[in-house]
Amino acid sequence: NRVKRPQLWWLGVPFVLFLGALPIVNRVEPRIGGMPFLFVWFAGATLVTPLAVWMTWRGDHR
Amino acid sequence: MSGTAVATTVFAVFMVATIALGLLAVRGRGGGGGGLAEWSVGGRSLGTVFIWVLMAGEGYTSFSYLGAAGWGYDYGAPVMYVVAYMACGYAVGYVVGPLLWSYARRHGLVGITDMVAHRYRRPWLGAAVAVLATLFLLPYIQLQITGMGVVVSTVTYGAVSLEWAYFVAFAVTTAFVVVSGLRGSAWVSVLKDVLVIGTLAFLAVYVPLHYFGGYGELFDRLAAERADWLTLPGHGAGADGRGKLGTAWFASTTVLNALTVVIFPTTVAGYLGARDGDILRRNAVLLPAYNVLLFVPMLLGMAALFVVPGLTGADSNLALFKLVVDSLPAWAVGVIGVAAALSSIVPMAVFMLVIGAMWGRSVLSLLPRWSAGERQKTASQVVVVVAGSVALVLTYTAPNTLVRLSLVSYEGMAQLVPMLLLGLVWRRLTAAGAVSGLVAGVGLVCALVFTGHDPVWGVNAGMVALVLNLAVALAVSLLGPPEADDGRPDEEVLARDPLPGEEPIPLVSGSG
Repeated sequence: NRVKRPQLWWLGVPFVLFLGALPIVNRVEPRIGGMPFLFVWFAGATLVTPLAVWMTWRGDHR
Repeated sequence: MSGTAVATTVFAVFMVATIALGLLAVRGRGGGGGGLAEWSVGGRSLGTVFIWVLMAGEGYTSFSYLGAAGWGYDYGAPVMYVVAYMACGYAVGYVVGPLLWSYARRHGLVGITDMVAHRYRRPWLGAAVAVLATLFLLPYIQLQITGMGVVVSTVTYGAVSLEWAYFVAFAVTTAFVVVSGLRGSAWVSVLKDVLVIGTLAFLAVYVPLHYFGGYGELFDRLAAERADWLTLPGHGAGADGRGKLGTAWFASTTVLNALTVVIFPTTVAGYLGARDGDILRRNAVLLPAYNVLLFVPMLLGMAALFVVPGLTGADSNLALFKLVVDSLPAWAVGVIGVAAALSSIVPMAVFMLVIGAMWGRSVLSLLPRWSAGERQKTASQVVVVVAGSVALVLTYTAPNTLVRLSLVSYEGMAQLVPMLLLGLVWRRLTAAGAVSGLVAGVGLVCALVFTGHDPVWGVNAGMVALVLNLAVALAVSLLGPPEADDGRPDEEVLARDPLPGEEPIPLVSGSG
């Protein structure tokens, strides 16, 4: 009788962004605004993570 | 008034204000009375704001403020594991936080040692975990003493030597933690975060403009002269792959730390202080964004390569502060020093509180002489002072970079993950299995770390040990004799993630 919560899959997003994509994004070019690509990607992933966790929250509070 | 006097005065005034704020926080609550639960988990009644500042405060410590700059200086890109594991850790915490909170609430528990003792129905196991966790937290306390020592020494422009500065750091923090407890730490954490975020935002703009003309120019110069700092495995990867902080190390460290941070005793103290489980979910949504400023010290550490070249070993901890002293007037050095010092004091206070609470509940309670109310609290505070003193001695005898100290702490604490998290959701895990796995994992991680084999085969040594730990725990549980039936239903032994709005019904009323 475990309650199904498919929204929990959203919590995997930061793992995919930070780790799954690593072999592809571990590069300096293309630089964006002068910043190396790896740094830009990680900054983006940091900002996307709250959205992913919020998707779970939204699913939990429907 | 000389620069030294100005900076030292600003610093000293804020330090006195910090202690006063801690005392103010506990006024009206029996003036430091209120027993172990009020001192250690704030009476279990902290609302969204306090839990937010305590848990957010875990993000901005001297580890991230000075240590991240130090590793940015030493290695470059690998230091970004800090933002990676924090983001992933908050995602894990979305589930684990409410799970642990409801388990503790139902059974009147105040920490991970309590949970282990309750789950396996063996008080001695809780005591053993308390001792082990204390040992693995010592490097983290040493980290904060080192960080604050760097600040005190730098703010006084070297008038206070690093050796004395470490002692001052230890004395101020120990005094603070004994008088103020968790509630005082939460108050000071507000002051700390305002200062840290303000100073980081300022430095993020000022340093690149002052030295390079902007971020574009800084990165142009890094790409031209220090390109290996900008991608994994970062600077200094050996040709033989040893000491290499490549993608395998980055991924294994991120996963290990994300799993470990949710059972870190300080994180759990934050969880258990919450009024309800939904507060923790809300925080898990917002906190990852709060950490975006952590990129600043990492970038400043790399900027310091061109301004203060030649720092080696543990001296790289000084990278950020050397930039500050080099480029700013004395009063600003004092203010930034206060921000960095508070980023040591608050987490160190929470760590010491947690050690005190663990010993009070799980070790001292087994000794009849020390198990009664006020005496238990006093004995816990003595343990806190002793733990701080040991960490102080380690600071003198085994200095290290701040990040390295954090890594060792996490690699050790990670070995408690199967016993605690797997044990709370899987009834079949036996005490013999959990203990066997723990012994194997701790043995291997100590062997690898103390012989200099971390990372091993390019992977975080703690992760290698955790895999062995899990394999042994599963093998012994599945192949060995099952636990004797103790008559307790699953609801009594296991934890579950309460659905939003679902309040656990306390099975006991007292909370120590």
